[in-house]
Amino acid sequence: MKIIKKLALGLGVAAAAQMTQAADSGFDLATVNPEADRVALQNYFESRFPQSEISDYVNGIYAVDASSREQWEELEEFPPYEFAVEEGETLFNTPFANGKGYADCFENGGVGIRQNYPYWNKEAGTVKTLEMEINECREANGEKPLKWAKGDIAKISAYMAWTSRDKPINIEIPSDDPRAKAAYLDGKKFFYAKRGQLNLSCANCHVQGANIRIRADLPSPQLGHTSHFPVFRSKWGELGTLHRRYKGCHKDSRSKPLSHQVEVYRNLEFFQSYMNNGLVVNGPGARK
Amino acid sequence: MKKIITIAAVLALAPTFASAESFQEAFESNRAMYGKNHTFEWNGKNFSTNHEEEVEAAVAATKENALDLIAKAKAKNKEAAKLGFEWKLTGGILKDAQKAADAGEYRKALDLAAQAKYHSRMGIQQHAYAQSNWHLSVPQ
Ligand code: HEC
Repeated sequence: MKIIKKLALGLGVAAAAQMTQAADSGFDLATVNPEADRVALQNYFESRFPQSEISDYVNGIYAVDASSREQWEELEEFPPYEFAVEEGETLFNTPFANGKGYADCFENGGVGIRQNYPYWNKEAGTVKTLEMEINECREANGEKPLKWAKGDIAKISAYMAWTSRDKPINIEIPSDDPRAKAAYLDGKKFFYAKRGQLNLSCANCHVQGANIRIRADLPSPQLGHTSHFPVFRSKWGELGTLHRRYKGCHKDSRSKPLSHQVEVYRNLEFFQSYMNNGLVVNGPGARK
Repeated sequence: MKKIITIAAVLALAPTFASAESFQEAFESNRAMYGKNHTFEWNGKNFSTNHEEEVEAAVAATKENALDLIAKAKAKNKEAAKLGFEWKLTGGILKDAQKAADAGEYRKALDLAAQAKYHSRMGIQQHAYAQSNWHLSVPQ
């Protein structure tokens, strides 16, 4: 573990030297630099929580809060999502009425590909999420789309994440289509803009407010946020998708949340997932 | 109504005054210190500490006035929603306003509509603020 940390630090420093940008840039399409953002975010958390390994941020709040970590490790001994993954596998392998299946819609038969989602789809001119393509696959084969928040879609997504465990997250922002960068910037802006009756941005809680008690809760660092979705939340008593979580958190600023899979939520997922490049997929996860 | 128009006009001109204290700051500190229905001076002119929505609600409690303010509040909230800055409770407040109007409680309807319209205006203002300030909390 020590070696990894040193290595990561060394890489971080080397990258930082290349990637540092002026404090007043990165906020418009001309200057936004996703790689510089990613390095800056890692550096920020490295100095906030010097005792935490960067690779451990996929474990959310438990990466930085030792007191709740023990409880969580006990929870993970008998993972509450275990049955859901098995059900997801069954659903994934059950053919549609036309005889085709999910495996026909995805690269590599849908196995071990979670780390590439969400991605910029040039033909459609939009960010595609895994859940979106699960439903598109159904519709293309004459099946009704699934409800977005939980249930079968979360189980199928959980199984697909399971087959991708430990693969490094690899979000690409193709340079041959400026709309991809614009989508990234839109997601970044959403994350940092204050909103709602409480005038809070995502960053207020998950960057500046990470591991600082806000009412009864400890918000996790945003680094690592998407790696373990869908998640089994004890509070929900079941699996839920990332956009279900987005809606809940959006509401926490006392805003009216948007709908599942709207463009700006997908752009937000694109931005957040890019921040996690190099960390590994560890979905599905379990959280309090 | 006259007052609102002057406020709006002053706000539009505000940048050219380059005043030490912006109208917004003067309004907010006077409102915080003295509450509603207080008059304060800013740049040589008198202004009320009432929010523009409170001025709008201070009309006769009639069905017509209530429905009119509800319609304005709904339109404003739609504008906020279009920008993605609708607040969580506004839709519910608008429903309550309509219910009050249906029950003939026009004073209550006016006050609720004013509150909803205020929420919407604040959401729109937040959006405008975010356009130039969202980057302030990005780690560098
Ligand atoms: C009022 C504070 C607050 C705001 C604002 C907020 N969150 Fe959260 N968020 C929390 C808390 C508390 C949790 C639960 C503890 C945790 O972080 O796992 C959470 C959890 C999450 C999680 C799950 C983390 C995990 O490890 O499973 C994600 C993802 C997330 N928030 C994203 C967002 C986004 C995106 C926004 C902006 C739309 C946002 N949050 C706004 C407080 C907040």
